[in-house]
Amino acid sequence: MSGFALPSATLLSQSVLSGIFVGALYGLLGLGLSLSWGLLRLINLAHFAFAFLAAYLCYQMAALGVDPLLSLAVLVPLFFAIGAALHWLMARFAVTPFNSLLLTFGLTGIIEAIIQTIWTADFRKLESVYGEHKFKIGVLYVPVPELITLVLALGLSFAVWAVLRYTDLGKAMRAAAEDAPIASAFGVNQKRNALLLAGTCAALASIAGVCLALSFTLAPSQIYAWIGVVFAAVMLGGLGRALGPLIAGTLIGVSEAVTMAVTAPSWAPIVSFTLLIVILVFRPGRAT
Amino acid sequence: MKSGIMKRTPLAILAAGIALAFVPALGLPAFYDSLLYLMLHWIVLATSWNILSGYTGYFSFGHGAFFGAGLYTTSTLLARYEWPFLWTLPVAALVAAVLGVALGAVVFRVKGVRGELFALLTLAITFVIGTIVVNTPLDGGQGVSLSAVPVPAIGPTQSSTFYLLALAAATLTMLIAWGLYVSKFGAGLFAIHDDEDAAEVMGVPTYRYKLMALAISCALAGVAGGIHALFLSYVTVGEVFTITVPLTVVLMSVLGGSRHWAGPAIGAVAITALLYSFTAANHAVAGKAMVGVILIAAILFMPDGILLRLRKLFKRAPKAQPGAAHPPSQLAPQVLVPSAGSSPAGSGEVLLRVRGLQKSFKGVRALAGVDVDVRRGEILGLLGPNGSGKSTFINVVSGHYVPTAGEIVFEGRGLAGHAAHRIAGAGIARTYQIPRPFAHMSVLDNVALATMFGGAVGSPAEARRRAMTWLEFTGLQGKAAAHPDDLNLHQRKFLELARALASRPRLVLLDEVLCGLTPSEIDDAVALIRRIRDQGSTIVFVEHVMRAVMALTDRVVVFNHGELLAEGSASDVMQRPEVMTAYLGKAHAVVPPPSVEVAHA
Amino acid sequence: MNTSRLSRRGALAAALLALTGGAFAQPAGQPIRVGSTLALTGPLSATAQIHKLVGDIYIEQVNKRGGWLGRPVEWIVKDDQSKPDLARTLYEQLVTADKVDLLMGPYATGAILSAMGVAQRYNKVLVHHTLGIPSLAKYDMQFPAWSLGTDPATTVPNTVFDALAAGPKPPKTVAVVTNKFPSIHFMTAGAREVMKKRGLNEVLFLEWDFGNRDFGPIANRIKDANPDFVWVGAIGLDGNLLLDAMKKIDYAPPQHFYLYPAPGPLVSLPEAKNALSVTIFEEQPPFTSNTGAAEFVKLYRERATKAGLADPSVETQAAASYTAWQILEAGVTATKGLDDKAIGTWLKANRVDTLQGKLRFNGTGNFGDDLMRVKQVQGGKWVVVWPKDVTAGGAKLLAP
Repeated sequence: MSGFALPSATLLSQSVLSGIFVGALYGLLGLGLSLSWGLLRLINLAHFAFAFLAAYLCYQMAALGVDPLLSLAVLVPLFFAIGAALHWLMARFAVTPFNSLLLTFGLTGIIEAIIQTIWTADFRKLESVYGEHKFKIGVLYVPVPELITLVLALGLSFAVWAVLRYTDLGKAMRAAAEDAPIASAFGVNQKRNALLLAGTCAALASIAGVCLALSFTLAPSQIYAWIGVVFAAVMLGGLGRALGPLIAGTLIGVSEAVTMAVTAPSWAPIVSFTLLIVILVFRPGRAT
Repeated sequence: MKSGIMKRTPLAILAAGIALAFVPALGLPAFYDSLLYLMLHWIVLATSWNILSGYTGYFSFGHGAFFGAGLYTTSTLLARYEWPFLWTLPVAALVAAVLGVALGAVVFRVKGVRGELFALLTLAITFVIGTIVVNTPLDGGQGVSLSAVPVPAIGPTQSSTFYLLALAAATLTMLIAWGLYVSKFGAGLFAIHDDEDAAEVMGVPTYRYKLMALAISCALAGVAGGIHALFLSYVTVGEVFTITVPLTVVLMSVLGGSRHWAGPAIGAVAITALLYSFTAANHAVAGKAMVGVILIAAILFMPDGILLRLRKLFKRAPKAQPGAAHPPSQLAPQVLVPSAGSSPAGSGEVLLRVRGLQKSFKGVRALAGVDVDVRRGEILGLLGPNGSGKSTFINVVSGHYVPTAGEIVFEGRGLAGHAAHRIAGAGIARTYQIPRPFAHMSVLDNVALATMFGGAVGSPAEARRRAMTWLEFTGLQGKAAAHPDDLNLHQRKFLELARALASRPRLVLLDEVLCGLTPSEIDDAVALIRRIRDQGSTIVFVEHVMRAVMALTDRVVVFNHGELLAEGSASDVMQRPEVMTAYLGKAHAVVPPPSVEVAHA
Repeated sequence: MNTSRLSRRGALAAALLALTGGAFAQPAGQPIRVGSTLALTGPLSATAQIHKLVGDIYIEQVNKRGGWLGRPVEWIVKDDQSKPDLARTLYEQLVTADKVDLLMGPYATGAILSAMGVAQRYNKVLVHHTLGIPSLAKYDMQFPAWSLGTDPATTVPNTVFDALAAGPKPPKTVAVVTNKFPSIHFMTAGAREVMKKRGLNEVLFLEWDFGNRDFGPIANRIKDANPDFVWVGAIGLDGNLLLDAMKKIDYAPPQHFYLYPAPGPLVSLPEAKNALSVTIFEEQPPFTSNTGAAEFVKLYRERATKAGLADPSVETQAAASYTAWQILEAGVTATKGLDDKAIGTWLKANRVDTLQGKLRFNGTGNFGDDLMRVKQVQGGKWVVVWPKDVTAGGAKLLAP
């Protein structure tokens, strides 16, 4: 029976690092979802299906000899187009936020069926050259695939944040999210911006998918395994806030990792989610 | 009287329930019982979710937690304490309800937790409870086996027993859902959905109502869980405490139509049937894709849900409204007289006494300690430049904000710090500067709501009758069935007025009612306000339109920077140099004011 | 008539038929319909697809050699979408609406228990292939194809530790890490008892939630505890994820064991070198000389490759699945009919020749012998290393 074990400094710091890495993936997965929900008022469940589809495509291309990071050159534009197309469809039918949940759930089922048909329900693991390497910083191990994920998550989150804050396009999108008719009146081309944003969100999903392929084993039903925790990170981080999912995801990841390091790992979800509840109840508007 | 309609629906539900109870006797293969059991099971889950989330708009992602709580309560009582199965069901309902209320009691107190934050909290609770269950002897990781538990022989076969239990639960749930939908309680819930703050100010006890809706929702989910535990006969945490149950009930409710009491049930039947039709092995995977395609098509072509689409198809009532509409009333004008005795204008008796009222927002002092007396029967003008604290004053007195310090005494009762709905019940009403009607309710229902809550009328039918008279008073009777979106600004302002009056307040606070109106509309409004005072209400009137101020007010007070600057009759106060400075700036203080024409009443 | 001699002869005849697989008369008449469900979609589909494939192969084979009782055999399988409540409903459909002649078990403990309830209510025999917790099987006419024995939580760990004790480096300290999935959790609990009795020192015990993604801290704690041997209560992906995590911190446990890893992925990982697991069948002698093994292994490899499965070799899942069909066939052939009660009675009193060897069903809960053997990843392949009498070519347990 393991109770509370005082961990060594190495164990603790390696665990924190591990939590940061998984939190970065939560953040990267959550980024597109948060932007879509916050700025476009569409809850895109298919975001996860897009990520997994991209992961599988990356896996397939790697089997043909294409470097996973290089496959981004194909995947990013492809998913940008898919995301924009989906948004065009939803805009055309003026789909409300809750209806978008239903629609994208249907889409997720379709994509899952496609994945299962092509790649079967088997577990697939991408063996890449990146998986072979790791760095050592002091006593801490930093595996390369996780590092790539972290770098991408940080880079993309900050890039999106900067665009939203400093560029005209970003401001236009935030304005449209707050008050669409007025923004239009000020000349903001909402249709075009929305398509751009939706495409970007899907492209972000595809990048997250490649990171998934690099670090995790894939199976079609795994699409659903990430929904709960990423939704939590997105909601905690504040909808539409670029840095939100990353910070919230890291919080969740680290709290779970630390719990696993010091006590029975099966208690980890309690700690992270209780922490989340406490944060929400005591500082609801200012979670990040 | 159309109370017949009101009675028909519950009888129909009950009749359907009784009729369906004979299905097992038809001697069909037992699997139909199980399939129908699954449908009824989801009807209970989806409808119970909707009672909270569809009606109040508090979108819960935690239905799995309460379902699971009921499930594990029953399994523990059965496996460990060997209770008879049927007795575990009320306990399951109770445990789930207590859990829900405990969560709600904390969460609903926090103002900022709305929308997706509430969804997140409820999702988090699911994982927390699931983890607790799996790590304690409740489950411990091995699952709980109930195969040795005897199933009560209610039906001819075991499957039919579950079917009958679920049928009973579903009938009960539908009756409750309908009952809430047409009741005063339900109207309050829908008001919370549209605009919680306005609802609170209209007199809806929002905190209590949300807790009650949550408790009912959780209890029903708990019962469904209890029954399901024995149906499964082997219970594991991984099946229950996930996002699957909440996601499924959301889909069912949205597909069926979440604003109507029967919508989720239709969605539940549709989705269960859909999932079930694709179980043939040859195309299992393709079947999954087909389900996705069908869902997408459904939502694109039936965006308001299946139920509304069906109703439009059969040309029923134009828009789904809680209960049936009622014809205009022929009530005598007596009903317009406010409940407490009224006295002639400016009789000197102080109705509202405010002393030292302060309100700060994170360091910004909107009200810096004002003293105001409002005398019974008068029209008191509340003037001041922008940012002087006038709207804040109204918000604090009506209870929209809690004062930082100070005293508010109304008809001898201290009201400072009371919940807004109590203040509304005490006889104070207010209008909003930018009208905040309940968007999904008809104009009549908007006013009826205020009648029921601020005006403490118990029956929705009676409330609608009285609401009609208020609409006649403000000239909106022709728009009774319309929705606020169909009204122009002038009509919406009058709706605000009708709503404010419907609770028969002794004190009416009007917040820039005339702003945005054309000159002729202003004249109409002024006449209306005068009629309001004439039938006995006292009015505090925030306004910028000077000619209206001159025409209507007996007295004015002027605020500046959150403090009382001047007090007295309108023509007198407006000529004081400090008032002019406040409005126009120092340079204009020495310029003699243009002569102001005084309209004669 | 000496029925038991007749039945034994019947069983022998059936076995011979299966072994020789010669040309037979075309089956004729009304098909015998066998119904079951499988998790063809949903989280359990990764393993259930194996069972679908095996069933298809079996049906094809049996119909080629004359079917059962001279009649063609038809398999009606439905998708229970990985949901036990749907499995129950579908089994009721199979029995009461589709009125199948016989039942076959579904995939995984939850669905099996649902099916068992239905079988019990309608007095049908249920042969199943993947029930992980024997004590839950309380129905008289259920028969396991997965030879765990009556008390696997004790016997299987004992087998494993026997193997280790006979190996080059018997461990003294053990780290036990496990998933909280019911059938895993149950076995691990038994393993801990066994370890205590054998005087092994448990230096670490950790449990994680089913669905855990981050194995970093767990790997770290194992490394810190520095055990001689790690018992990993793994199912599905867990083993891979843990090995990955350990690789990332440059840690390789001296000896390690994985309970029910997903077939395929584990063996191909370079860091899974010398990993131990348990099995009832592997594609090597002496197993391949068991009844029906050689032909089945060949067919399975062909079909699995064609279907795009990552690992086309037969191991526990496929073997248990095929065994289940063999058991049902034996019962039908021996009793010359489709009467569930008769089949059940016969099975309890007799032995059946299968892929796994001769099986008996007269223990508690109709379980027989524990036939779980210890296998090890050697050179990128699974090699059976214990007990000695089932190893081939001098294979033995390696320890670095």
